[in-house]
Amino acid sequence: MSTAALAAPTRTKEERSGKYLAFHLGPEEFGIQVLKVREIMGIQEITAVPHTPPHTKGVINLRGKVIPVVDLRLKFGMPEAEYSQRTCIIVTEVEGDGGAMMIGAVVDGVSEVLNLSPADIEDTPDFRGEVATTGLLGMAKVKGKVKILLDIDHVMTHQDLKDLGQILS
Amino acid sequence: MNPSEVEALLEKAATQFMLGENAETISTLKLLSDAMLPAEATALAVELHQVALVRASVEWADEASRQRMERGLDRLRQMLGASEASSPAGNEPTAKVAVAATTSSALNQDPELVGDFILEAREHLQTVEAGLLVLEKEPANPETLNAVFRSFHTIKGLAGFLEFAKIQALAHEVETILDLARTGQLVMTPNLIDLTLESSDFVGKEVERIETMLHGQNPGQELDPEALLVRVRAVIAGDHSAPAPKVEEPKLSAAIPLEPVREATVPEVIVETPVPKVVEEVTAAAPGEPSDVKNKKAVATDTHAIRVDTAKLDYLLNMVGEMVIAESMVRLDPELSGTKNTRLQRNLNQLRRVTEEVQKVAMATRLIPVGTLFQRVNRLVRDTSRKAGKMAEVELVGEDTQLDKTIIEELTDPIMHMVRNSIDHGIEAPADRVKAGKPQSGRVQLKAYRQADHIQIEIVDDGRGLNKEKILAKARERGLIGEAVHLTDSEIFQLIFEPGFSTAEKVTDISGRGVGMDVVKKQIQKLRGKIDIQSTPGAGTTFFLKLPLTLAIVEGLVVGVGRERYILPIFSVHEMFRPAEGQVSTVQGRGEMVMVRNQLLPLIRLYRSLGVRPRNEDASQSLLIVAETEGKRFVLMVDEFIGKQEVVIKSLGSSLKNTTGIAGGAILGDGRVGLILDLEAIYTERGLKAQIIKESLLTAC
Repeated sequence: MSTAALAAPTRTKEERSGKYLAFHLGPEEFGIQVLKVREIMGIQEITAVPHTPPHTKGVINLRGKVIPVVDLRLKFGMPEAEYSQRTCIIVTEVEGDGGAMMIGAVVDGVSEVLNLSPADIEDTPDFRGEVATTGLLGMAKVKGKVKILLDIDHVMTHQDLKDLGQILS
Repeated sequence: MNPSEVEALLEKAATQFMLGENAETISTLKLLSDAMLPAEATALAVELHQVALVRASVEWADEASRQRMERGLDRLRQMLGASEASSPAGNEPTAKVAVAATTSSALNQDPELVGDFILEAREHLQTVEAGLLVLEKEPANPETLNAVFRSFHTIKGLAGFLEFAKIQALAHEVETILDLARTGQLVMTPNLIDLTLESSDFVGKEVERIETMLHGQNPGQELDPEALLVRVRAVIAGDHSAPAPKVEEPKLSAAIPLEPVREATVPEVIVETPVPKVVEEVTAAAPGEPSDVKNKKAVATDTHAIRVDTAKLDYLLNMVGEMVIAESMVRLDPELSGTKNTRLQRNLNQLRRVTEEVQKVAMATRLIPVGTLFQRVNRLVRDTSRKAGKMAEVELVGEDTQLDKTIIEELTDPIMHMVRNSIDHGIEAPADRVKAGKPQSGRVQLKAYRQADHIQIEIVDDGRGLNKEKILAKARERGLIGEAVHLTDSEIFQLIFEPGFSTAEKVTDISGRGVGMDVVKKQIQKLRGKIDIQSTPGAGTTFFLKLPLTLAIVEGLVVGVGRERYILPIFSVHEMFRPAEGQVSTVQGRGEMVMVRNQLLPLIRLYRSLGVRPRNEDASQSLLIVAETEGKRFVLMVDEFIGKQEVVIKSLGSSLKNTTGIAGGAILGDGRVGLILDLEAIYTERGLKAQIIKESLLTAC
């Protein structure tokens, strides 16, 4: 149990239950809390910003507001993929140091909204310190498939999440 | 959020959903679910938000989600309708509680009302201050007396309503004084004006405390109005026993810890004011009734202005910007631009005219007259000249000139600093002025006017002027310039903007404490402005400030580098050209240089600074742009020139705002984001970049 406490120190299963927007990156399914989602838009041309890490794809115009866009594949150290018709930008509102901010996340596609009960959620398994698990809220088992629940506040505001990719392999 | 707003949101969501605007529906429903509705309604709103989300992302969900949404919205409407009906009954007891509550609970219960109070009180205090300064010259001006009286009256009323007891008590007593003055039973002597000013300062400080409390911070030590109250009451009591200043004066001067300078100047002013005559005039001119009519008029004009949250304004501006883009995309669409249909063409033209007008008006909403800033100078000159034992008058020209609100706010400190300097260093003591054949009282003039697309502000004094020799000597002493360097007048004057430069022989209370002109210059530059000085020994000094109309818009040069487009602020661009053969050369140890008008300027390849793949690396095939920041000139190499465009500057958000070389973003004509370059950073980084590349090459070998 001690490792579970490390993975999600402050959240009980009850707090983590609720609605999640499910999306996928390659074969893997993820979920982020619906309350963090502002909107979902199709992929569009992104203006690259120099001197930023590769996963920061650039900025887009969200109805007159300029917001940064992060490619979650690259953020998690997964191989880059061509953008297709199904590629989406999930606009999230996350808590950063300077208060709430909007950041877009490029994902391979969104699938559904899941209603997760406390029983559906399991703590992040112990990866024996080889993998940083701080960006995760836990795992959910839905219809026999495992979905990784992301702590999107943490994912969007921390730089070093390359290790997360290792969970997936 | 109040019920009508919620209802509006609900209707908006329903319409958007019907029109299939999924993204919009989602954000509207998100707003609803955040809107602090009753728990049950919130739950439903959250659910509907998700329905909308699913529909936006999954095709098969369409029919099912439509039904679900329709039913859900209906239920939500019922729920909210029901909660509205029950609320009036529930409200009454809370209202009663509020009456009994103390200051701090009023703060908690009605933060919005308190916020309004703070704004309104500040506006009234400005009126009071401006009015009192007029009264200093014309103690019986009935209009001004009425205006000041009304302002205190309103402050008292509002403070009473919100239970800010101290403000209410003080405003009440001051109002009594002003009422006596209004009806001619009292004359506004300089002492009384001081007292009233102090009272308005007290109210101002108290309002500030309330503001900090409103933001949930600790406001610090409480203020006690008792001393002021005693003095104000003394005036009121004194007045009934005998008219005019004789009685109150000894009392007052005993109560106010006057500085020697003040004591010296005060009697002088009193002598100048023929007291008995004024009293007569007032009683003759103000029989009571007409002033009430004016009162009503003033109230009526007030309703022409409303207060709008700046966040709302910014949103409006964003949306107008989007509309302009959408309009131009429609108009320039190949199918429409080639049309032979004259009616359609006419309508499109009309649409363009209207859009342009809307944009112009929307931009103007952020502009406010510079007068509010100038008014504060009045008070400052009065206070500083007294402290310094000098006499000075203020003249304001062009108070109606409009300027962006943010610029006016950021300009306040620099202007105050310069005016303070003008009085402390510029204006001579009255005796010296007379010796020099000038009028005893100095003059500080503030002028504002529009010049093309800039605003010019001048601060003029008729003092002793800047002392070139002293500035030069000081600059040499500090090692800012060499012994043999010959400088023009304007270059010499620019020296006073160097950090830590002050020629004041002694540090006074007013200036010379290190917060120097360098800070002023920095601030002006931050506002994308320029500052210049003209000075004639013995005749005075003038500061010229050149400022942009607004900070929100910058005129930009759109250039292409590789597949990206960047925006250069046009004010830092001198010229652009295609280089001739041999114009670009490599200078040993200094990198690439370009010969422009017999001047060798460093070449910066923009694609290298920005890490972009260019269309070509041959300088002779590229476009070169001569740019200048902070006095340094250099040449930028880009692929092509795309156009000139006025763009609205937008932040890239907190995670990207510190990106080197990028000052911000802007929405270009096609709706995409273009990056505005920070030329200063690009210039200073150029050497570092080359160094890093060289080093990495070395290590690779």
